[in-house]
Amino acid sequence: MSAVIEIAGLRKTFRTIRRGRRVAVDGFDMVVEAGQVHGFLGPNGSGKTTTLRALLGLVNADAGELRVLGAPAPEQLGRVTGRVGAIVESPQFFGNFTGHRTLRLLAVAGGVPPSRVDEVLDQVGLRERGEDRVRSYSLGMKQRLAVASALLKNPELLILDEPANGLDPAGIREMRDLMRTLAGSGVTVLVSSHILAEIQLICDHVTIIARGRRVAAGRVDDVLAGHDPHEWRVRVAESERGAGLLREAGLTVAVHPDDVLVVGGAPEPELISSTLGGQGLWVRELTPVRPDLESVFLDLTAGATPPGQPDGTDAGDADEPLVELDRTDGRRVDA
Amino acid sequence: MNLVRAEVERLAARRFVQLMVLLLAVAFAVTTATTLIGSHRPTASEMSAAQEQAAQAVAVLEAEHTRCLRVRAGEIPITEDAGYVPADCAEVDPARMERLPLATDYLTSVFIFSQEARGLLYFLIAFLVLFGFLVGASYIGADLNSGGVVNLLLWRPGRLTVLGTKLGTLVGVVAALAVLASALYLGTFWTIGQTAGVPGPLDGQFWGGLGAIYGRGLVLVLLSTALGFGIATLGRHTSAALGAVAAYAVVWEMGGRLVLQILDVARADLLMLSNYLGAWLSGRLEFWDDRGCPPGSGVCDGGVYAITWGPALLVLLALTGAVTGSAFVAFRRRDLV
Repeated sequence: MSAVIEIAGLRKTFRTIRRGRRVAVDGFDMVVEAGQVHGFLGPNGSGKTTTLRALLGLVNADAGELRVLGAPAPEQLGRVTGRVGAIVESPQFFGNFTGHRTLRLLAVAGGVPPSRVDEVLDQVGLRERGEDRVRSYSLGMKQRLAVASALLKNPELLILDEPANGLDPAGIREMRDLMRTLAGSGVTVLVSSHILAEIQLICDHVTIIARGRRVAAGRVDDVLAGHDPHEWRVRVAESERGAGLLREAGLTVAVHPDDVLVVGGAPEPELISSTLGGQGLWVRELTPVRPDLESVFLDLTAGATPPGQPDGTDAGDADEPLVELDRTDGRRVDA
Repeated sequence: MNLVRAEVERLAARRFVQLMVLLLAVAFAVTTATTLIGSHRPTASEMSAAQEQAAQAVAVLEAEHTRCLRVRAGEIPITEDAGYVPADCAEVDPARMERLPLATDYLTSVFIFSQEARGLLYFLIAFLVLFGFLVGASYIGADLNSGGVVNLLLWRPGRLTVLGTKLGTLVGVVAALAVLASALYLGTFWTIGQTAGVPGPLDGQFWGGLGAIYGRGLVLVLLSTALGFGIATLGRHTSAALGAVAAYAVVWEMGGRLVLQILDVARADLLMLSNYLGAWLSGRLEFWDDRGCPPGSGVCDGGVYAITWGPALLVLLALTGAVTGSAFVAFRRRDLV
């Protein structure tokens, strides 16, 4: 697979009179391969939007190399813009323009056939409201209009910054289905979101950023596996006795309120079942504790505050153990 | 070309632009209606009476000139009740006067196109200057503020191309609108002059003078458009342009003028932008500074200084060029967050 997005050593510092110097992105790397649905996660202020804006030529990077579809950004972005659809944060539109007109003007500016407008309005479920003024749209509808604008070009690469913002559960589901459909048709999707369950459902790959640095990247399954606690959820008739037996066998046991034991230190479940069964305690439930993206995310970004805040973190600081995964196979590597 | 088309459509679809065009149309309709109501086509008897009054006025002027020549030749003694008799009779020579009394000067409640055209044109230019500035500022200001420019840059990543196209389209549309509005405006009043008033003497000199004002006015409209666009781009907001102009007017044109007067700064009028504006429109503005006169001599020719249209144009071009140039440089470097 070829890389459609390559970011290496991206660094961006904002300087304002009021807030002084603020490091937004600090040596960040990311690779998105063709055909991936790639989640881009990070806490507020971690540098997600700055990274995406730098990638799209809206923010001037201080250092680093960026390539989109092989073209160096921002210098040669114009060469590939026609193949990239993007929305960054929540784009605003003129309230007195209709949705149809908004898209048609973009289509005219980009040399896209106006017939595409109806197609994309249909695609995002706005066909019926296309002739209404944008002012009358809900936040979710405006978000869908933004996605429609990104789809106008029939892009090979779709970059979506928080596309689920303002969407109700049904809208989120539609957006998920839309992204799946697009991915199924061969479009590479890079999506940033704070709805981690959505990312886990939609994305096959993920990059996690905290304090402007990459803290994890790779296949979603690999990232989750990298944080597998190797714990087992055990339910037995006599939980206290069972906990004692397991502790005697050298395992760690936490007794949860509903008589559920969370057992650690057992590489295989047979050790648990044989220990308990050997003493006449029959196991009612024995399931592995699987990490979800949310717990991994919270684990990796724990305590991450926006760069430049008074927490001692700044350029060149390495006050946080980085957990990185190799670009190609997602295995943990030392950082 | 596609970008220009899209920008023209965006500009035409803007509510503010539509409102300003509507205001122009209303002002135009009101002026036309009041002119029509207050004017009538003079009857033959009104015309002949006016012609007679004009002829009498010319005769009085000629008599004054003749009397002056005779006084200076010593043919008539100067008496106390003789009134003003200039040393050089050429001053009162009707043949040397800029214009002699005409019949149209003595018509009442009659719209005379040749007399009113300049005032009407100045009004239109003032409106169009305001129109250009406000539309220029709001066009880019609203786009920067709403994220419209970012949206566009996701389609056309060339910042200078996008901003340049916006400015070019804006100036082109304002120029076309100004030409159209002026033609319609002057054409309507010319027609009123022909049908419900008097056209007056419309010779080459008249049209030449009117054309010069029109040309200078059009340049001013385009400069104010670019200036509004430039300031709003630098300030990232429409209100930046309005604030900058208001601040300049209050701080420099009013406050600064007062301070310069108190400090008795020489030729302080040369430091006021409004004077260059006036000089460009009128062709020449004269000022007086008593430092140019010998001490105690009072008024003298040496104290007079002027701003002519050439330097005025240079100042206006330099200002607009500096502001729009800075806007392009800033926009090229700016982080769009």
